[in-house]
Amino acid sequence: MSKRARRSIISWLVLSPLMVVILFPFAVMFFTAVKPADEVLATPTAWLPSTIRWANFVEMWQVTGFGRALLNSLYVSTASTLGALIVAVPAAYALSRFEFKGKGAYRQFLLITQMLSPIVLVLGLFRLSVAVGLLDSVNVLVMIYAAFNIAFAVWMLQSYFATIPRDLEEAAWLEGASRFRTVIIVFLPLAVPAMVVTAIFTFINSWNEFVLALTMLRSAESHTLPIKIFSLVAGRYTVEWHHIMGATLLATVPVAIIFGWLQRYLVRGLALGAVK
Amino acid sequence: MSSRLAPAYLILPSFFLAAFIILFPLWDLSQLATHNVNRFGQIRYFSGFENLLAVLDDSLFYQSLWRTVLWTVGVVGGTILLSFPIALILNEDFAGRGLARVIIMLPWSVSLTMTAIVWRWSLNGQFGLLNKTLQDLGIIGEPIVWLASGATAFPMQIAIGILVSIPFAVTVFLGGLSSIPADIYEAARVDGASPWQQLRTLTLPLMRPFINIALVLNVIYVFNSFPIIWVLTQGGPANQTDILVTYLYKLAFRFGKMGEASVVSLIMFALLLAITLLYTRMVIRDEQTR
Repeated sequence: MSKRARRSIISWLVLSPLMVVILFPFAVMFFTAVKPADEVLATPTAWLPSTIRWANFVEMWQVTGFGRALLNSLYVSTASTLGALIVAVPAAYALSRFEFKGKGAYRQFLLITQMLSPIVLVLGLFRLSVAVGLLDSVNVLVMIYAAFNIAFAVWMLQSYFATIPRDLEEAAWLEGASRFRTVIIVFLPLAVPAMVVTAIFTFINSWNEFVLALTMLRSAESHTLPIKIFSLVAGRYTVEWHHIMGATLLATVPVAIIFGWLQRYLVRGLALGAVK
Repeated sequence: MSSRLAPAYLILPSFFLAAFIILFPLWDLSQLATHNVNRFGQIRYFSGFENLLAVLDDSLFYQSLWRTVLWTVGVVGGTILLSFPIALILNEDFAGRGLARVIIMLPWSVSLTMTAIVWRWSLNGQFGLLNKTLQDLGIIGEPIVWLASGATAFPMQIAIGILVSIPFAVTVFLGGLSSIPADIYEAARVDGASPWQQLRTLTLPLMRPFINIALVLNVIYVFNSFPIIWVLTQGGPANQTDILVTYLYKLAFRFGKMGEASVVSLIMFALLLAITLLYTRMVIRDEQTR
């Protein structure tokens, strides 16, 4: 057996217990989601359903208001991502292209906003949204998520911007283009990949947020997905687990696929941002 | 736009948005913490340290604080200890490494809320698939009602916390390992160093900045983590799994003790600030030694 083959087998063997534990919840989700209702709460418990019942997903969609929550989540995540990027791109550009007084202080400020998680401020944020009359509105979440994502977005963007060579911009200046015009026609097109990657991770952050949505969104119509699904579990006499697992599966798998595809960019961006 | 002022124009929008959302609530919390507040959140009169003393007089505060320490040390310690060898393996070249990396990273893509909801169902004493699987494997005899007591629920929550924290730590470690030049290992091999000696004398010292960063960022993240405990037990049964964040949430939104909740918020803020300062210190020292 070649050295590489032996190493491959040993690596997979060592990693396999952890992988089983990682994949366990996905198996639970899938097999519960497709079980006929009367088999979910039956003893003795069985992993496999007697028949795979895809109709569970259709029922779940109608009963739980999944579609509405999905739309809310899409809206909040998209709008807050746009909001964060609109302010973060100029800031990251300034950090990577200018030397100026207060650069260090601004970085410190970003670090502090990054450290303060929403949970520490939740009461203050709740009172803020009451004060501006936006309690129970998804728009207040848009603003808050955008603000909390700024530090991460600036961090990621800046580490990518630093890798864009300045020569092209300098050539454009020599041709007589203004700084602003150079940014629009030379810099931004080169920065698109960085912005897309940052946008996707900001989107996922907002998509997954729990405590603020739990606190601000009172009525069922405004619930985002995590809160919608949590509300089906908490404080109910009968919990329809096959519907809930179907909903978590639908909410999880698309994000997991995008994430699996993008994780190498995150590895690179974080490694650059964390040490530089 | 003049180039002297340009950075200011570029930076101020992000500064104002972040400052408004983060500094205003902080100021509001400090007002609440030092005033008598009724349960509807109306500030009545200045009360100095009354709220602080009420918190310091509450045995639940100390229990939650102690459990927060256990939670943070347990999750972060477990995460780092497991993630380092995992990153070493994933850094080697072996068949199917890409797939292995994707699987290890998978828990990161799932929101903590969803993960916790799935585990709440898996841990169900009567119908949960965890009991079923453990019984089939002969690991446990009788089904365990995991979430019925803090003695089983809390360790389970720590284990789940470790599971979802591994991807981030592995990511940081992989970034670090890829920054170590391969030729120093070459040289060590020529000098006859065993793999174990190479790990101890080369990899570990060179990885120290990355271990520090993973450690501190994880401490901050886990210290603030709310969904796993809230979804699984809401701090119960009988407050046996409460940590500071769930205690704070209950004070504010269940018991209507906004003044005391603000005090707990500010205590957490102070602790976070201390950790942050430690972090910036480490980064600066790290930059100097480069």
